[in-house]
Amino acid sequence: MPAQPILCYPHPVLKKVSHAVAVIDDEIRGLIDDLLDTMRAGPGSVGVAAPQIGATLRVCVVDVSGSRHGKENNHGVLVMVNPEIVHREGAAIMREGCMSVPDYTGDVERATTITVRFRDGEGTEREISASGFEAVAIQHEMDHLDGILFLDRIVSLKTGLFRRKNYR
Amino acid sequence: MSTKKTDSLAHYAVTVVGKDRPGIVAATAGVLYRLGCNVEDSSSTMLGGEFSMILIVSHEKPFSKGRILEEFRGVAEEMGLTVAARTLSPDEVAYQAPEGELCMVSVYGSDRPGIIYRVTNELAERKVNITDLNTKLIGTKEEPVYVLMLEAALPEGIVVEDVAAMFDKIKKEMNVEISVRSITPVSL
Repeated sequence: MPAQPILCYPHPVLKKVSHAVAVIDDEIRGLIDDLLDTMRAGPGSVGVAAPQIGATLRVCVVDVSGSRHGKENNHGVLVMVNPEIVHREGAAIMREGCMSVPDYTGDVERATTITVRFRDGEGTEREISASGFEAVAIQHEMDHLDGILFLDRIVSLKTGLFRRKNYR
Repeated sequence: MSTKKTDSLAHYAVTVVGKDRPGIVAATAGVLYRLGCNVEDSSSTMLGGEFSMILIVSHEKPFSKGRILEEFRGVAEEMGLTVAARTLSPDEVAYQAPEGELCMVSVYGSDRPGIIYRVTNELAERKVNITDLNTKLIGTKEEPVYVLMLEAALPEGIVVEDVAAMFDKIKKEMNVEISVRSITPVSL
């Protein structure tokens, strides 16, 4: 499956709440392949959620193993269908950027440790505990499934949102 | 925001400063709106009792900064605002990709003259580019505490640990705390 173009805000799909997946069939398996290919094609990308490629379904993929922030602490490639956070702990601020909101980064507070329950690509129910950058990435991608962008989580524009371009 | 091409527009930096009161932002935005200016970027905050605005605005040519100042005259007099405008060259509004690792430097200690100078001069000598800087006087009247927070983009060859080390001398000399941490954005 080829990498898909990433939708950018204000595309309306990015603000929609995605539907739960009832059955992992060929359509969903195709979507998962598209998400993995899209994530691998994006320079430095560590995750993609289905709405970012136009599908309002609760599916996302995360892999922080290739990132310097996550290489020491990760679960490898995570395919998450209907993910649900069942426990969260701690709080830390990280400056996030999003492929769907190019040119901006923002300081977002996220839980430092989460327990997330989901079905993997084979339909097996899994529950993992993630921390650090992997936890941040999972929370960021799961937000997309609820139509939430990191812009919705910035507390202060003055101290929280940064334009990638600037005036000399 | 306009979708017009940048090269077909004239850009101006407009600054507005005045004693804080309700309505300064609305009055400023109203003048620019009536002029047909597009606010491309802006930052406004209260400094002491002064409300301060910096705006990057664009307008289709032909247009002049004199026209901007002229249109502001009434509002400026009525609200006690000082308004200035500067024409920006196309080079000044050109896109700049982010470069280098970003770090946040936090400085705090008993208030005394020279803290900003010593810290920023140390960075300037090493070609470290400050991209954002804020200061605040906190604490009590008897024991004022000065807080400075800045963001900087590090040139090639300088890492966050180097920045922390370069402040060792200033920390002792000025009796201030200085911490440095990486804030390079993560792409998700």
